[in-house]
Amino acid sequence: METRRDVFQAIADPTRRAILGLLALQAMTPGAIAAKFDSSRQTVSKHIQILTECQMVTQEQKGREIYYHFNPKKLKEVADWVSQYQRFWNQKFDSLENYLVKIQKKKK
Amino acid sequence: MENYNSFTLEGNVAVHTRLLDAPRELVWEVWTNPMHIKEWWGPEGFSLTTHAMNVEPGDVWDFVMHGMGNDWNNRIEYTEVVKPSLLSYKHSGDAGEDYNFNVTVTFENMDGKTLLTMRSEFKSREIIEELNQKVNAFEAGKQTLAKLAQYLGQLTK
Repeated sequence: METRRDVFQAIADPTRRAILGLLALQAMTPGAIAAKFDSSRQTVSKHIQILTECQMVTQEQKGREIYYHFNPKKLKEVADWVSQYQRFWNQKFDSLENYLVKIQKKKK
Repeated sequence: MENYNSFTLEGNVAVHTRLLDAPRELVWEVWTNPMHIKEWWGPEGFSLTTHAMNVEPGDVWDFVMHGMGNDWNNRIEYTEVVKPSLLSYKHSGDAGEDYNFNVTVTFENMDGKTLLTMRSEFKSREIIEELNQKVNAFEAGKQTLAKLAQYLGQLTK
């Protein structure tokens, strides 16, 4: 199944929430972020990638370094009705997908 | 790869797409048969009772969702029915006429899979903004209450 990237997925993970917490205070380089966690640098960079895809964080090139910034606008969306409507239907479609898998298995 | 699982909002129209790994006759069946639809339609933790369902233009699906300690009445009036490719309906809930919306669902065959496109048209962009503000206020209220509870917790320690 294709992974869907949305704000809700972004904030579902405790490490990603912690990263957002750090970035809310100051912009940071990937190395500086990774240094704050016990997880491998790769794991942290995967989390940063997901946050970037959901536009929860933005990138800024400063000389040789990339700095990540927190994007508060996106977080506000979580509380929007439109986002809730989107999530509501995403969940319905997930459940429709699962149900279709289930009844097609039975038929075989 | 094109993204078949998408959501966009343009003006007063919300569009969802989803590529489903099932033939469209089957997808149509699970949308139009009360026995199937109750298995997936309700939000998590909700159950669903169908009072009447007759998938014909001008006819209705009258149902109740049970959840969060409440019964939620819903009525869907079919406006266009083209088996197995198109379903249009008007959705009415308890909230009032302004919050009703029109939905068109299309089912497209894509190499044995089905591309579902759901287009929800609301009365106006203003209605959507109003709903956004209400939900924002509601969420802000919840946060305020949570903070208050936390504060009270500290005081009583």
